[in-house]
Amino acid sequence: MKASLLLRIVAGFVVTALTSALLVGCGAAGGGASGRYFGKTVPPDDNVLRYVTGSEPESLDPQFVTGQPEARIMMALYDGLVEYHPKTMEPIPAIAESWELSDDGTEYLFHLRKNAKFSNGDPITARDFVYSFRRALSPELASRNANLAYYIKYSEAYNSDQSFVRDANGQFLLAKDFSEDDGDAAAEQTTHATLGADSEFHRFLDSPQRLTVPSAEKDRNKLLEKDPKLKAALEGKELVPVRAEDIGVEAVDDYTLRIKLHQSAPFFLGLLAHQFFRALHQPSIEKFGKDWLRPENIVTSGPFKLAEHKPYDVLRVVKDPNYWDAANVKLAGINYYPMDEQTTMQNMYKAGHLDATYNHTVPAAWNETIRQYTAEYSLHPEVAIEYYSISVKKPPMDNLKLRQALSLAIDRDALAKFRKTGKPSADFVPLGIFPNYDVARQKVFGEELAKQGSSLEEWNTRKFDPEKARRLMTEAGFPVQGSSGSFSCPTFPVDKVTLTYNTAESNQRVAEFVQAQWRQNLGITVPLKNMEFRTFLPYRSAVEYHGIVRNGWIGDYMDPFTFLNLFYSQQNDGATGWWDPKYDKMLDEANLEADDEMKRLEMLARAEFYVMQQQIVIPLQVPGTSWMKKPFVKGMYPNPGTLHPWKFVYIEKDPNKWTSDMENIMSENDPAVIQQLDQLMATQEQFKRAKESETTAVAAATTSER
Amino acid sequence: MLHFILKRLLIIIPMALLVVTVTWALIRVAPGNFYSTEKKLPAAVEANIRKKYGLDKPWYQQYGIMMLNIVKLDFGDSVRYPGQSVNEIIRRHLPYSATIGLLAYILALIVGLSAGIIAALKQNTFWDYGSMAVAMLGLSIPNFVLGPILVLIFALGLYWFPPARWGGLSALVLPVATLAAIYAAYIARLTRAGMLEIMRSDYIRTARAKGLDEKTVLLKHALRGGIIPVVSFTGPALAALLAGTVVVERVFSIPGLGNIFIQSVLNRDEPLILGIVAFLSILVMLFNLLVDISYGFLDPRIRYE
Repeated sequence: MKASLLLRIVAGFVVTALTSALLVGCGAAGGGASGRYFGKTVPPDDNVLRYVTGSEPESLDPQFVTGQPEARIMMALYDGLVEYHPKTMEPIPAIAESWELSDDGTEYLFHLRKNAKFSNGDPITARDFVYSFRRALSPELASRNANLAYYIKYSEAYNSDQSFVRDANGQFLLAKDFSEDDGDAAAEQTTHATLGADSEFHRFLDSPQRLTVPSAEKDRNKLLEKDPKLKAALEGKELVPVRAEDIGVEAVDDYTLRIKLHQSAPFFLGLLAHQFFRALHQPSIEKFGKDWLRPENIVTSGPFKLAEHKPYDVLRVVKDPNYWDAANVKLAGINYYPMDEQTTMQNMYKAGHLDATYNHTVPAAWNETIRQYTAEYSLHPEVAIEYYSISVKKPPMDNLKLRQALSLAIDRDALAKFRKTGKPSADFVPLGIFPNYDVARQKVFGEELAKQGSSLEEWNTRKFDPEKARRLMTEAGFPVQGSSGSFSCPTFPVDKVTLTYNTAESNQRVAEFVQAQWRQNLGITVPLKNMEFRTFLPYRSAVEYHGIVRNGWIGDYMDPFTFLNLFYSQQNDGATGWWDPKYDKMLDEANLEADDEMKRLEMLARAEFYVMQQQIVIPLQVPGTSWMKKPFVKGMYPNPGTLHPWKFVYIEKDPNKWTSDMENIMSENDPAVIQQLDQLMATQEQFKRAKESETTAVAAATTSER
Repeated sequence: MLHFILKRLLIIIPMALLVVTVTWALIRVAPGNFYSTEKKLPAAVEANIRKKYGLDKPWYQQYGIMMLNIVKLDFGDSVRYPGQSVNEIIRRHLPYSATIGLLAYILALIVGLSAGIIAALKQNTFWDYGSMAVAMLGLSIPNFVLGPILVLIFALGLYWFPPARWGGLSALVLPVATLAAIYAAYIARLTRAGMLEIMRSDYIRTARAKGLDEKTVLLKHALRGGIIPVVSFTGPALAALLAGTVVVERVFSIPGLGNIFIQSVLNRDEPLILGIVAFLSILVMLFNLLVDISYGFLDPRIRYE
């Protein structure tokens, strides 16, 4: 019985392998006839894009969902203050036609357009955003994305159920009096000129940050036990719970929204394009309760509205005539097919039932063939990094030289060649995504290395330097013996180190590759261990593993801080057990630098250099997008997050205007898209110019008065 | 007979509860949870979630609440898809599975029975060897291989049928054929063996001796006894087919219960897992009961007291 089962499995694999080979072969042959396209290439008549975005969306509530599959649906259904630029993902005007930022970087004032409407025709006002933000942060909603908004003043306190502390005189205790660190960035924030009309609520927000403590007695006592000074201060004081109405979002009037942050966060504007911050319709949510998402009840704010939702089958959205920019929405609708089986998806695509797929969906076995279809296959860098985290608190991994040796002993170029879809990287912030940061990093790293008597050239060998790796191993106390081809390192405790990854073919391939590299270059054989995804996640985030663990990060917004933030604070997400207040301070100081972008980026680069010197992680590669679209789908760009603002996308019937070269599509000048973008950007540009001339006029007036 | 049926029906209830309890315990013993993502959740956010779903209560309270609701046939809301109740999800996705399952069942019966009967009647001829060879092939090619091969030929080569998804009769052809193949092969072999055995039995000889024509002997006497092994096989098989088959539904991206089931496990969607497990266990037990009852009708030698 066992033997026959084994035989069947083996036979199964052989046949599958043969099939996929055949399938791919067929593709090439079939394509050969008509030439350049993969499978059936006929634009849909009804102007409806047929798209696949991954598994069934968890919900249609943009504040609840966290995944990328959902994000791509939310972008059709909901509109926010700003939208992602279709190519760069930088924020562009959406419901906010213009905005301004205070000099100290803590206050935003958004001017909303007056013609924005929900799908039922109700106007979208500043009050709707106030409602949306408060709902997003409510502990009852328990959104997993809540921390994205923690930069908004008192939002963390509200979301985590904390209270202000009031003394007998009605005065509130202030955070700065209890901060352990004198240089606390939040407390040091300078005052600034008020943007827009002042109000009592604004004066409250602008006053120094109040102290907040957990409302629940148990949690509070835990905190107070550790801090006797705080405990004494709280004695006999009244606790006032932080309410939704206390968070730093204010409707100055119907079409002016003010957002107050507790410290400057120069990337915050980009964050606002995230689905978490998009406009929701209060009356329908309050009326229908948990049923507000049903197709018959849902009210949306985006370019498309829900037409039909058959879970696990199809989610259809159609153009919303009430949308403020409906004139520029070119598709009649989008059909999202929930699907995550890569082969099924590629079959659908080839048979002409799908017009585009999403990132990382070309099966490894198909890659060689698919990449020949240069008019359809996208392989562009993503705002993401694949890396291994190291459990730095447990021996032997507490040894810096050992960690450096492990990193140096991986031939990243060979790994990238083997994977076929990424770029080798020994840096943590992905190269080629943030051009200005790359310049700043080059400069800062050069300076820092010079201080250490090293140079950028030497630094650049960190992508692979087996010689140095062996030397470091030996210095770390694990002498590497033998010569080329047969190294051994008998003293290395392989029983205390494991390379753990979550079960997936691609993860296994990388782990085996890295294992082979370490065996070949250092003479150690690190055991591999795979784990089911949902078992793996808490195991990794609690740093329960010994040795090394697979990790990866996709940026939340287009700023290097989204990566550097991973090691910020004691509860950081780096899964290494490492925390360094000095690093936190470096980042805080960088973010306080609101005026001079380059200066800020250099400060961030210095922080990256600092953390990379500790080698708490081993960066491996910047993943590539790896998805396909039919050549007649236009206005859909392989941006770094594979998040497409759908109002730019259209179906081109004229084959002469089809996409011919995906590799250079980012420098393509599609008049339709450019015109639309210019139109959108114009409002903010005009506003900025008007502001500038105002300032110059004021300056001129002041000068002439003198 | 009635007594027998009642007794069997009553056993189903504690059995189903036992199955649910074991499943619940297994889910709880497994590390991990439904809400974690690649991003680490801040402690406050995690606390909010645990409170919202009652995970901050002691385990026996959680178990008690769950069992009480299940006895009331309320499995609660899915934790993966908030706002959707488990009952609603099962009701919504069962018809997809049942449709392809029933069609595949009928197809398998027609193909399997006819092939089996022909093979038995023309034993040791080309027809026998031919149909049994095809059946052997059907048994040895797993459906995750057969599906893609059919797709390759009929969807990507000839463009006759869509390669995946639900919608229209043409979309049903490939998944139904894939699903039916292995069952048809099984049924063919069982029918052949059953018929061969029965044809040699005494009562068939009696029937022939009575001078009945061959057609009556075959259809009225031989077939009834010959397909008993088929019935005991197809009872549970029908339950499995109706309730969804994971592989075919995944390969063809069909929104059936099998697809939902596998996703619910991957998502650690506890209420949904428990709901589907309870539903499936009841379904299988009911079909087994039906099979046992049908024996009595098919074979006069079997009696229930």
